[in-house]
Amino acid sequence: MKHWWKWRKRSDELEKEIRHHLQMAETERLERGASEYEAQAGARREFGNVGLVKELARDAWGWRWLLDLYEDLRYGMRTLGKSPGFAATAILTLALGIGANTAIFSILDAAILKPLPLKDPSALLIIEWTNSDFPAGVDNINGEFSEIPGGRVRGSSIGANLYRKLAREQTDFASVIGIADPDSVAVALDASPAEEVSLQYVSGNFFQGLEAWPRIGRPFRDEEDRVGQEPVVIVSHRFWMERLGGAGDALNRIVRINNAPARIVGVAPPEFFGLRAGQWTDVYAPLGTRARFQPGGSNGAAQGEDDRDWWVRPVGRLKPGTPESLAKMHIASLFSKLAAQEMDLEPSKIPELITLPGGRGFPALNTEAARALWILMLLVGVLLLIVCANLANLVLSRSVVRRRESAVRLALGATRARIFRQHLVESGLLGFLGGAGGLALGYILAQAIQLLFQSGRDPSSKFDLPLDLRVFGCAAFLSILTSLLFGAMPAVEAAHAELSEALKSHARSVVGGRLRLPRALVSVQIALCLTALVAAGLLGRSLENLKWADVGFDRENLAYASINPGQAGYSAEQMGAYVDRVREEIGRLPGVVSVSTVGFRLLSSGGQLSRVSIPGHPSLTEKGMVTPAQAATENWIGEGFFETLHIPLVAGRTIDRRDIHPDGEAVVVDELFARDFFPNENPIGRRFGFNPKENTRYEIAGIVRSTRYNSLRDEPVPAVYEPYARESRGPVHFAIRTTIDSGSLAQAVRAGIASVDPAVPMTEFHTQNELIDRLLRTERLLALLSGAFGVVALTLAAVGIGGVLAYAVARRTNEIGVRMALGAATTDVMRMVLRDSLWMAGTGILIGLPCAYAIGKILRATLFRLEPLDPWTAALSFLTLMAVALLAAWLPARRAMRVDPVVALRYE
Amino acid sequence: MVYMVGYRRSIAIAPEEKFVPYQNRMELLQGTLDLLILQTLMWGPRHGYGIAQAIRVNSGELLQVDAGSLYPALHRLEKKKWIGAEWKVSENKQDVKVYKLTAAGRKRLTEERTRWEQITDAIAGVLNPAKKENQP
Repeated sequence: MKHWWKWRKRSDELEKEIRHHLQMAETERLERGASEYEAQAGARREFGNVGLVKELARDAWGWRWLLDLYEDLRYGMRTLGKSPGFAATAILTLALGIGANTAIFSILDAAILKPLPLKDPSALLIIEWTNSDFPAGVDNINGEFSEIPGGRVRGSSIGANLYRKLAREQTDFASVIGIADPDSVAVALDASPAEEVSLQYVSGNFFQGLEAWPRIGRPFRDEEDRVGQEPVVIVSHRFWMERLGGAGDALNRIVRINNAPARIVGVAPPEFFGLRAGQWTDVYAPLGTRARFQPGGSNGAAQGEDDRDWWVRPVGRLKPGTPESLAKMHIASLFSKLAAQEMDLEPSKIPELITLPGGRGFPALNTEAARALWILMLLVGVLLLIVCANLANLVLSRSVVRRRESAVRLALGATRARIFRQHLVESGLLGFLGGAGGLALGYILAQAIQLLFQSGRDPSSKFDLPLDLRVFGCAAFLSILTSLLFGAMPAVEAAHAELSEALKSHARSVVGGRLRLPRALVSVQIALCLTALVAAGLLGRSLENLKWADVGFDRENLAYASINPGQAGYSAEQMGAYVDRVREEIGRLPGVVSVSTVGFRLLSSGGQLSRVSIPGHPSLTEKGMVTPAQAATENWIGEGFFETLHIPLVAGRTIDRRDIHPDGEAVVVDELFARDFFPNENPIGRRFGFNPKENTRYEIAGIVRSTRYNSLRDEPVPAVYEPYARESRGPVHFAIRTTIDSGSLAQAVRAGIASVDPAVPMTEFHTQNELIDRLLRTERLLALLSGAFGVVALTLAAVGIGGVLAYAVARRTNEIGVRMALGAATTDVMRMVLRDSLWMAGTGILIGLPCAYAIGKILRATLFRLEPLDPWTAALSFLTLMAVALLAAWLPARRAMRVDPVVALRYE
Repeated sequence: MVYMVGYRRSIAIAPEEKFVPYQNRMELLQGTLDLLILQTLMWGPRHGYGIAQAIRVNSGELLQVDAGSLYPALHRLEKKKWIGAEWKVSENKQDVKVYKLTAAGRKRLTEERTRWEQITDAIAGVLNPAKKENQP
């Protein structure tokens, strides 16, 4: 735009300059005594072609290329306008290809690639630890804890007091902040009923450390992070806008969090979401307030203040100029000194702190979902290549029509470079329009895919998918790339037009006599299409395998209803009696066969894995064996659980009413547990525990069949069923075996729960199959999208084959006429066209086989009970492609059959 | 006889340009017009027409600069910052673009002159070989 104005100004100046020149020449002539007319004409004659002089002068400004580009663009627009069908097809397919890519990219970017929207995010370091084993002296780790290669374990959190000392005494970081994973709490404003929101406990220096200054109010103060202080909270911008109306008087308002009053001291900045993309926390509270909001800590200590409970993730902001290695070394040695003092541990048992780059925050997705996104990115990449091949063919077939045009331009003196550029500019124009369409489509698609991707997840976790510069850049990059990909070859062809041939009126050959380039492009398209189909087939079949995997219990007619009496104000002592009443009430409902309580709903993705110790058995690690069978999953169940889920009892007895009390010892284990921990022994009556010091805590009363626990994929792990803890305060789930449909059951159960105490609402209701579906959402999304991409790829391939064949038939009308005149039957002609189609498809499939194998290899980790070379998938893809090749050949073949020899021969 | 001073132009694109009759056209070495313009401006600022007139007069009416060469050359030199331009108002209240030599242009002029003298010497040497050999 600036250039344009400058250009206009200089053009005006040039105009003036020339006018002045002419006037001077005229005046001089007049002075010499010429007549006015003579003077004017003479001056003009002497000057020459005014337009040409202007043009030449403008050339001197060095903007010639810009002008040419402008002309090329205008010309390109006109040509596109003249063939709207072509333009629409090209722009639509491009928009589809670029849109799919932009959509997946924007999700990938938001979830994985984009740095945190904070000041200087690259200075942030996530501090974690590694250790040889579950750290000694620690009871509970809240956060991440996983085994890493080398037989060690890695954890993300440390104790709150350890954290505070660490943050205070370290010197290499500008600050070390602490943050816990979000908890859901009940928040009540004034007299309105409580709502469940997401709360995160953070250190007193959290907002200062991240340099995220509250929108209004102030950040926390260090002294507020202490037990016994007046509880204060900072609410998110969203919470402030939605629940508090964005009013300035929100400051100092009192909200009730799990029934404890807290004062609002600030509102977080608008786009601030903490340290994990997609996780939108509503309320932030100092670490020290956990004791107030979630009372009932172990060992008499305030909740969260005991260093046996590790739940705070430290994150440091490096001081400018401090090398990361040095900071890591210092903080690791400081931590081992502090841990030795505080926890009284030998140095060898103290975990070693490590630092990880924190610029992107905590990972937003688990490995599985992240892998799924990368796979989708790969698939849309393949789709875009198909789009490019398709468009290249389209543009190429158009260049036949435009061959004469190129030749005429060449004959009139245009350079080949200029022709090449003109064609490239046209492709660029298509690319630009397609890219713009793609950006819009991508935005819509991204929101839709995000909905699918997040379905069933915590509603507070949702990625912000703005049309930002990065997404914009992605679309722009793809537009340019695709324009070059599909535009370069036809442009070369156009620039190489042979003058003499092209100007002849009957020359019809395109590119090589046999349409070699278009055929090759179609084959490439088929190859890519096969790749996409195989990917879709494998992912679809894998999903089916997962869906119908044996879960070990009866998944049909089973539902779970959940309540959270603790949030509604029930104390631990009141809980047991209340839950019993609800259970009886549900059991009385019509259509309910049986009901029981359960700690973790099976296959709901929650769960707990604990280390088993058995008296007399050396721990497996001590024996130098590393096997996953050292641990068992735990679940807490009420009476009648196995009957409700139809899990068969193999030996002994199930848990009944008398076992359900805090000191209950009788537990039920599954067959896998019996096999792994008591091989060749009768486990009934044997004792074990989850702590080496209490390894006689439980006595095995019965053995049941093994079931899936919280994953359909992972190898089954031994399971322990303990009596349901009546005094626990968390959410309570009821497993319900029913004979009626889930909709009416949900209604009945909701009413039943309300009839016991209207203050306690039913928080969740899901059938077992819904939970399984939810567990498979990533797989379903992958299968769905890859299937959709497969269909698009197939359509494009069909259009590609059909187009080339139609063109070939049109070109050979003459030849077909001769053949028919010489006695060829229509079936021969049809066969000729079909053979042509199958040949292209066959070549494509041959090229595509290694690609398909490669994508199978890439998908391997995602596949469930399926080999990358699955014969069914391969056969199905092959047949589909062949069928499509035949179908696409149908129209051209029919046209070939209808060729009238007389007309065809006269045509020439 | 009057020589038109100009350069060979690139391929004609506009059809009407194709057969512009430039007779008696003197093809000059590339850069000669630049030299002439710079030298003309040595004597003081001038507008485009004035430059053309000055060249004509100073060459004894032999060299006539064609506008199609003059203005592109002026604009090119202006872009290279060898000459500067400003707008003035003439006696009859007209906006006039007046060119003048810049410091860089002055330096360029010296270089161009040296080069020109070398070339004319060289050509003279070729045209009169005997003379050169006779010189000791």
